[in-house]
Amino acid sequence: MPAPTHSQNGYTVIGAVNGPIEVQRRDEIPDEAAIEVNVRPATGIGSPKERHIEHILTALLRNIILTHDYPRTLIQLTLQILSVPATHSTLPSSSSLPILPALINTAYATLLAGSIRLSTTLTAVLVAVPKSELEAVAQKGSSHVFAFDGRGEAVLVHSEGKKFEIEEWEQACEAARGCVLG
Amino acid sequence: MEEFAIYTRFSAPPPCQAPRSSSPATPSPSLLFSSHTTKPLTLGPGLRHIPPSTITAALSGPLHTDPRKNALWIENNGGRYIPVQGDLVICSMHHSSVDAYHCSITPYTAPATLPQLAFEGASKKTRPVLAPGALVYARVSVAGKHMEPELECVHPGTGKAEGLGPLKGGMVWDVSLGMARRLLLPASKMREQGGLVLLELLAEKVRFEIAVGRNGRVWVDGGCEGDAGGGEGGRGDG
Amino acid sequence: MPREAELSLNEREFILQALRENVRLDGRAFDDIRELQLSFGDEYGVADVRLGKTSHNPFPDRKFDGIFTISTEFSPMASPAFEVGRPTEAETLLSRLLEKAIRRSSALDTEGLCIIAGLKCFALRADVHVLDHDGGLVDAACIALVAALRHFRRPDVRVEGENVTVYSVREREPVPLSLLHHPLCVTFSYFNGGEVVLVDANLVEEQVREAEVVVTMNRHGEVCQVAKYGGLPIDALALLNCTNVALAKVQMLDKVIQQRLEEDAKRRDKGGLMAELNGDTLHKDDDRLDRTTDWLAWVSEWIEKAIGLTVGVVAQRYAVRCMGVSEGGTGRGKARARALEEGEGETVRAM
Repeated sequence: MPAPTHSQNGYTVIGAVNGPIEVQRRDEIPDEAAIEVNVRPATGIGSPKERHIEHILTALLRNIILTHDYPRTLIQLTLQILSVPATHSTLPSSSSLPILPALINTAYATLLAGSIRLSTTLTAVLVAVPKSELEAVAQKGSSHVFAFDGRGEAVLVHSEGKKFEIEEWEQACEAARGCVLG
Repeated sequence: MEEFAIYTRFSAPPPCQAPRSSSPATPSPSLLFSSHTTKPLTLGPGLRHIPPSTITAALSGPLHTDPRKNALWIENNGGRYIPVQGDLVICSMHHSSVDAYHCSITPYTAPATLPQLAFEGASKKTRPVLAPGALVYARVSVAGKHMEPELECVHPGTGKAEGLGPLKGGMVWDVSLGMARRLLLPASKMREQGGLVLLELLAEKVRFEIAVGRNGRVWVDGGCEGDAGGGEGGRGDG
Repeated sequence: MPREAELSLNEREFILQALRENVRLDGRAFDDIRELQLSFGDEYGVADVRLGKTSHNPFPDRKFDGIFTISTEFSPMASPAFEVGRPTEAETLLSRLLEKAIRRSSALDTEGLCIIAGLKCFALRADVHVLDHDGGLVDAACIALVAALRHFRRPDVRVEGENVTVYSVREREPVPLSLLHHPLCVTFSYFNGGEVVLVDANLVEEQVREAEVVVTMNRHGEVCQVAKYGGLPIDALALLNCTNVALAKVQMLDKVIQQRLEEDAKRRDKGGLMAELNGDTLHKDDDRLDRTTDWLAWVSEWIEKAIGLTVGVVAQRYAVRCMGVSEGGTGRGKARARALEEGEGETVRAM
């Protein structure tokens, strides 16, 4: 199975997909594929934070993968975080956004390389408000992750951080759209 | 005649130039492919029709067109084999039940059913006895995404094996699905559709027996180890 | 539920027949090891090992309480047969072997991790990630772990009574771990009732083998552990022979790791503090030394520059003592100090 590696914001992630393979009886869905995402941190074993990210990714990928083409099977995606930037340890431990774009983009590349039928493209980007280093964002301001599909529609929006105004959010969304769709 | 819009991700490929690259679709810019013949438009693997008149790519790879057959498809070299009716595959026996063998076409997937009487001249008494792990060259007789695939080793019309059946000795090598497809192309289509002259050239030098499965497995028997080693060289970069 | 893909009868028979005729499928000799590719990450202590297609990626990191733990967890990335949260037999075997080979052979001097006895210590955790599996997991994991441990630098600390200051990488050059020796594993696989012995079997060969012997030793020929799995009885003399073969392999592998570590150190050192210390500044200082012979100013400035270097500080104290106390005068003190600096520069670079 092919294993693409992708780096973004200092995070490097390697991905691998197995599928469609036989699914365990309890996970079997009669008319579509079950999707299993495993996120494995660079150090230590998975924590509830990884489970949370896995949940976000599973919900997102279910909309991208043509699951009805693979009924009663399992598509198993493993994302192994290979390296994190030095600033990672300064982030609050609950923060899961900075790594999310790297994971989403690796997942997309992995599915493409694994020849899993997809309904559209997927690109994700991290926007920090105000525009600054990740470290600064951890203390003040907010960060947002936007993912867009091939039609330019936002398929994933996650925000985190201190209070932010709706105008700021809209600006962030526009900035992300400009970055992803050019 | 209807007109279909094909959405490709990369900008403005001239309409007559094949192959083009495509990946799961973004809706701009569009390329028009008019079906000018009386034949219905055929969509091959990797393309998806969204009624009424949108075709998008579901896999990444170069886009191929065949104006004579009025066909479109995306050439894709990776991924896991998904059984298609009529494909020849090399599978290994997993376990047997009362009247059928259960064979695995690709690892980690549900086994396919091979009826014990689906061999040439097989009857209750003369059917071949296969041990678990034995290799069989078979044709996919029934395939669908909602059911387990079924296999046969005999042509249902003529009752002849036509080369299918248990494979004795030899060695199996894994190749990519694209390589297996190219190895299986008939000699007449060699050049234009990416077929390979490899086997013909090899056959001039050494004697060997070969069976190519669409599931990415190639069985080679050269009589002795030295010859079969040539099969390994033949794996190439496929 | 998912099982490891099994080999067909034809493949089994072919591989065994070929071995009987002294041929290995990938064309290697019986005692050949696949080419070892070893690279290090940007952080300290990240090693990426590729042995054939088998690939490992351990990260020692200071994370949890405890002293030194090795964590091996297989993910479905290497093979769909590896399930999350349910250790397979191979996984248990690997973690036990690594435990025996590295922890129990006290390769890592855990006393060196202690900061204040009974109160504070570093906890080191090594995560072994298996990215791809083509046989030889134990050998590759062991190489990866040893390479990562040798590459890792822990933060420097200063102890004042019961107060401990841990310096970040920017404040002080981190210090390497103290390793007592570097154990490496070599796996021997037995076929045909023990007639055929292979070194570093790949996955298909592993699937048809009858027994395996894992020998762990360091480059000095000290055997750390011998493990034998599978039912086949193996002659004691054959086992002795194994250790001889293993020694040659271990020395070869150790040389490769050493070489890669040196290359990596050179890459990191480029334009760094060491270059500054060894190069321009010293000459400048020498000039000033001749002009003013202001010992104290020179020494304090030099100490400031070298503050990130633990070894540097120690050497400097020695230099101060030599120059300040000895009667030898300017020339002798300077020559001695310079000789010392050069020698010290070499040591640091070699680390």
